[in-house]
Amino acid sequence: MGDRYSFSLTTFSPSGKLVQIEYALAAVNKGVTSVGLKGTNGIVIATERKSHSPLLEDNSIEKVSVICRNIGVVYSGMGPDARILLDKARKSAQEYKRIYLEEPSVMIMVKEIASIMQEFTQSGGVRPFGVSLLIAGFDDLGPSLYQVDPSGSYFAWKASAIGKNMINAKTFLEKRYSETMELEDAVHTAILTLKEGYEGTMAESGIEIGIAYLEHTTTKEGDKIQQGRFKKLSEPEIKDYLANL
Amino acid sequence: MEYNGGAIIAMKGKGCVAIAADRRFGIQALTLGTDFQKVFSATDKIYFGLAGLATDVQTLLSNRIPSPTPPFEFTSSRPIQSFFLKTKADICSEKFRMKVDMYHLREEREISPKTFAHMVSSTLYEKRFGGYFVFPTVAGLDANNEPYICNMDGIGCITTPNDFVVSGTAENQLYGMCESLWEPNLEPEDLFETISQALLNGVDRDAISGWGGIVHVITPEGVITRTLKGRMD
Amino acid sequence: MLDFLDNPATLAGANRDPDGDMHAADFDPVGMAPTEFAHPTFSVPAIADPVAFLKHQTGVDAKNRIKIQHGTTTLAFKFNHGVIVAVDSRATGGSYIASQTVKKVIEINPYLLGTMAGGAADCSYWERELGRRCRIYELNNKERISVAAASKLLANMVYAYKGMGLSMGTMVTGWDKTGPQLYYVDSDGQRLKSDLFSVGSGSTYAYGVLDAGYKPDLTPEEAIDLGRRAIVHATFRDAYSGGYVSVYHVKENGWEFISRTDVNDLIYQYQAEEKPSLV
Repeated sequence: MGDRYSFSLTTFSPSGKLVQIEYALAAVNKGVTSVGLKGTNGIVIATERKSHSPLLEDNSIEKVSVICRNIGVVYSGMGPDARILLDKARKSAQEYKRIYLEEPSVMIMVKEIASIMQEFTQSGGVRPFGVSLLIAGFDDLGPSLYQVDPSGSYFAWKASAIGKNMINAKTFLEKRYSETMELEDAVHTAILTLKEGYEGTMAESGIEIGIAYLEHTTTKEGDKIQQGRFKKLSEPEIKDYLANL
Repeated sequence: MEYNGGAIIAMKGKGCVAIAADRRFGIQALTLGTDFQKVFSATDKIYFGLAGLATDVQTLLSNRIPSPTPPFEFTSSRPIQSFFLKTKADICSEKFRMKVDMYHLREEREISPKTFAHMVSSTLYEKRFGGYFVFPTVAGLDANNEPYICNMDGIGCITTPNDFVVSGTAENQLYGMCESLWEPNLEPEDLFETISQALLNGVDRDAISGWGGIVHVITPEGVITRTLKGRMD
Repeated sequence: MLDFLDNPATLAGANRDPDGDMHAADFDPVGMAPTEFAHPTFSVPAIADPVAFLKHQTGVDAKNRIKIQHGTTTLAFKFNHGVIVAVDSRATGGSYIASQTVKKVIEINPYLLGTMAGGAADCSYWERELGRRCRIYELNNKERISVAAASKLLANMVYAYKGMGLSMGTMVTGWDKTGPQLYYVDSDGQRLKSDLFSVGSGSTYAYGVLDAGYKPDLTPEEAIDLGRRAIVHATFRDAYSGGYVSVYHVKENGWEFISRTDVNDLIYQYQAEEKPSLV
């Protein structure tokens, strides 16, 4: 009998729309703006860190997250939904590494996450995720940026924005983006884009930034290797960028 | 391992690698075939061989490259494109072929020798308690044409030496041959000679390996495949 | 279990020399062997049940098994011009090829040949001992021993050690007053007479070739070729046979060594030959 109630909540309307997905997108569009853009030698994703109250511990909020060594993600929309996806993504990345002893490529990770999001548009008893994601990483193909939406569709971008101020941010990026810009410039541009719709003055604790780039290291055996690396910028690092704007 | 017998070697050279195997298929003392394949290609730059129980060898990897080379004749073959493209209806579809195909389709890129080796290793360890009786050897060139060789035990423990790897019932004999013949930075033709001599003379001291051999030398320009005439007793 | 060590008298029927060793001769089954034919005496483990002890050391499931050479192909057959004997030359320990140049035909004397299969040491020792006895017989009786008698001597000798781990499958052949003779003797004490035998791990393959080509009126050349082919094909199929094929021809005036050829050359030679059509 329990089965009777596990029908899909996401059902087509007579006009062929899945309204649940549209509602999910609406939730995203209410969310805090996030941006991402590719440089020639790296990639940046950034978002505002909004505190509703001065009493809140700022650093307890995390919206830009590491998925695995070379890939990170930022979301706009519902935080708790994003956390579930992040957990699943991290687990999937480790399963991949467990088999191949290698970090997954960005595309593999994107497909994995997108398929989870799609599953939640078609399964019984669940609702779509109320988030869009910007996934950034560095692999054999260089830096790449993907956007994944609640429907499970994904796109590769040179630069993109999601969330409340998406339209303005995208217009700004279209004007300012250049394919020849390096990572440093990209970080600056990302900050400037966020600044467009930012209420109040921007401090280092008010934004989160993550970058992916090629890291050169030497192994214990003395071999020089290069591998993609995603890392979050620390507050002092962000402070330096803000000072140099 | 003593049920079917067999011998496999892989060696590093200068900008190239070689992998060689005997061609016997037998059940204990009885020799049933002298054109058995123990070495297969995963991509045009990765070859891998399985010594061990023949039924597991085929279960795990057999993509029977249709009649590879006529026996006892020199051939040099250009590599075939990528692994999954040469899949044909008459080729047995088995575990590793499936896994490599899936990797290529999913990732839209060629698998690297190291990644392939770890995939094999993971597959073996999946059956840690009651596994396959095979001892894989991998030889290949990576995207930068750096040589890679490794072999592993039956449950996936990988070893990656800088010179050569051996496995099979003639393992001890092959170690002896390789230790005395191998030297660093061999060019493809010299590497071919070295691995061939190591194989043929090694298996001549093993009752259940031999009956001819096959050698693949993998170079950035292509793969040289030759069958070797060996003692038939 | 080992209390006899303290009190040897508890070991029933044990005849002991001053060292306390027990001798195999004490197990003489007939109990009436003439002295010159007395079995050579071997010291056996001085314990209650030496057979069980030896099994423990040499049995297939023994932990540190004393490995004995096993794989072999040998054959011999009678035909109108005598006896052909052909053997391979491989010795193996497990799957390891210990030698490719073993002499498996034992020249007992100019008129007698023995072949070797099973334990190499057992075969060579007991056939050498057989040679000694045959010579003594010859000196005593001023005539050569018959092949029947010689093979019987061998069978009796090894029978005395039955169950103690001897391993041999041998063919004794020669030419005596009654013509060409061929016997099979093994370590179980079995002794058989026939026109055609093959012994060893490759024997079934040799029989296949032999039976297909055998007839009593082969010429010596044909017979030699048949024997050689049978061994060569056996070495191809049987992993534990290989090396060189040696051929002997037993004639009225004693045996003649015919040839010793690398089987590998012959395999390639035979493969290149045109195959007879099946229809």
